[in-house]
Amino acid sequence: MPTWIGQAVRHGIVTSRYPAEPASEAEVPPTGRPPVAVKGSKLLPAGASLCPVGAISDRAVDRGRCIRCARCLPGGFEFRGPVESATRTRTGLVTGEPSPAAPEPTPPLAALSRSVHVFLVDAGSCNACNLEVLALANPFYDSQRLGVFFTNSPRHADVLLVVGVPTEEMVEPLRRAYDALPAPKAVVAVGVCAISGGAFAGTPGLHDALDQLVPVDVYVPGCPPAPVHVLDGLLRVVGRGRKAEGA
Amino acid sequence: MIESSELPARRPGTGGTHPELALAYAADDGSFAVYNDYSAGRAVFRPRSETPPPPEVAATWRRTRDGGQVRPVAPADPVEGYGLFTFPYGPISMGVPESGRFDVRTYGERILALVPVAGYKSRRILASVCGQTVPDAALRIERLAGNFSAAHATAFLSAAESAAGASVPRGELWVRALAQELQRVYNHVHVIARVAEAASQNVGTAQTQALAEEMLRVQGSVFGHRWLFGALLPAGPRRRLDAGDRRDLSNVLRRHAATFDRLWELFLGSRTFVDRIQSTGTVTPSLAKEWGAVGPTLRACGVPWDDRLRVPTSPYTDLFLDLPQESGGDALARLLVRAHEVRASFLLIEQLLDRWTTTPEALEAPAPPVAPSRALGRVESPSGDLVYDVTLSGDRVASIGMRSASQANFPLFARGLRDGVFTDFHFAWESFGLVFSEVDG
Ligand code: SF4
Ligand code: SF4
Repeated sequence: MPTWIGQAVRHGIVTSRYPAEPASEAEVPPTGRPPVAVKGSKLLPAGASLCPVGAISDRAVDRGRCIRCARCLPGGFEFRGPVESATRTRTGLVTGEPSPAAPEPTPPLAALSRSVHVFLVDAGSCNACNLEVLALANPFYDSQRLGVFFTNSPRHADVLLVVGVPTEEMVEPLRRAYDALPAPKAVVAVGVCAISGGAFAGTPGLHDALDQLVPVDVYVPGCPPAPVHVLDGLLRVVGRGRKAEGA
Repeated sequence: MIESSELPARRPGTGGTHPELALAYAADDGSFAVYNDYSAGRAVFRPRSETPPPPEVAATWRRTRDGGQVRPVAPADPVEGYGLFTFPYGPISMGVPESGRFDVRTYGERILALVPVAGYKSRRILASVCGQTVPDAALRIERLAGNFSAAHATAFLSAAESAAGASVPRGELWVRALAQELQRVYNHVHVIARVAEAASQNVGTAQTQALAEEMLRVQGSVFGHRWLFGALLPAGPRRRLDAGDRRDLSNVLRRHAATFDRLWELFLGSRTFVDRIQSTGTVTPSLAKEWGAVGPTLRACGVPWDDRLRVPTSPYTDLFLDLPQESGGDALARLLVRAHEVRASFLLIEQLLDRWTTTPEALEAPAPPVAPSRALGRVESPSGDLVYDVTLSGDRVASIGMRSASQANFPLFARGLRDGVFTDFHFAWESFGLVFSEVDG
């Protein structure tokens, strides 16, 4: 007679050790790392002309724009950037040489240093970012173990997590949700759509940058970011993010 | 419990037209329409001169090219009665992670009518890809609905290839089929997890969510991207599909298939679960044909239509597909269909991996265009029939139309919830597998 308990034992789900340990290869596929210029590649700077979203300038990659399309790989780039790439500033997302970004100081936002209650707003996403955020609740990530909770009401939240490129139609609902959060509050922009418009940058009727509409405290690049990236971004709000590897 | 005689009067004449055959796709400019002939089991193509699409049906499906219009995506369903009010739910609503609105007519307990309102998250994708090259446009199209990316990419690319008269290497067609079947498994498993969550099946939800995560990891390891973005495009991330990789993949999937079978057996053994979803969000066969339901929603009311069988393309023409069919039309029937389809897709993948093409470079001719430089691409997405209508000018997109499974099924979701109670909402919503981004474009 099969039972749920028997099934649970047999299945043997291994909960992520992130962030106590680095993210595993299973948790971060190749495109989960931002591209960086290959050291000494003669191809450079051919990558810039291959990038469909203008994320490359010379040897620097703007992770806030990169949609991980892989077109720059033949132009001397590799998906070998640091897993931890969420930042507290927009400019921090621009990486230069293959060395990872300098770790940023991450002071916790006042009064938010224990657990975070997160309210998700979709401002115009493809749904993949939404699903990666929701995946934090699955037993592999179990974000509650780290004090990250999702709430159904903005009034019970201290973090507004926004995915998608803000459409004209979502500006008002987005502002209302922001206003409904009690202070102190933080805004986390998840995915390049919310950071720069991503693949849709420059489309009339869309707002390319969420931080032009509401103040953004943490930027989580990726298209979409994997659950560990989202976790990293949320932990950065409370100053518990992992330091970038090699930093 | 309210007796039906106490229910408010419904105005007559709002049940929609009764076309003999429901539309699969009506071109934006009205130049042609594709009908599904359910009794004959084939698709019928009709140029403009013949029967025009029934306006009420076509209106809910036709694309607004410029986007950004907040609009109902199901026909009005006016009910009148004392004390009735309209309760708008959304666009940011609890429990539905995407932005969209539901206008609910109620007097507090029952949902007397429900009209979904979309357009809040319109990214103007169809308008913005006009003028772009096919590979550039594909980057946006695959992001039209992230969890159906393989279906959108395949439908768009095959339409563009037909329009250009360009042959495709057989290997690419196999890779597209593999990507689509993997994504179908992910989506069905995800839908089952969402319904289980709504039914408070805590342990079952966690186990099923874990399996969905496993599928995303499989996609990540084979195609380099958890959502298959770029996976079907020429310059995408590196694929891992050589003989050894295929053997590994087949072993991993065999394990996941066995896990799924055990999970599903446990769900079916849970009375509370089965009782909760039975008779929820029921779609009758006549409603399904009338409004042109697609995918698991259609197959759950006894209509055995699947593009993989009815308008098959290579390699589906050479594969065995065990097509499920249920007759209940409710959330339970839709889940039974999905569960069966998970197994069928695992079986399709096994066939693909076993008989992997030995001539990947061989060119296959595209389907014929419908007009010079204009062609349709049609695939069975996880939620059903997806159609792209692409006109090229040189190597660029001149104009584009699209009809997604969610567009087709939204009216059925609305009708299915009519006269239900509020607690039915989430079961019904999740069981249809609707995606707002696919409606907004
Ligand atoms: S992966 Fe694509 S988007 Fe990112 S930098 Fe390279 S070319 Fe640009
Ligand atoms: S960032 Fe990428 S994954 Fe996220 S919503 Fe935008 S297109 Fe989708």
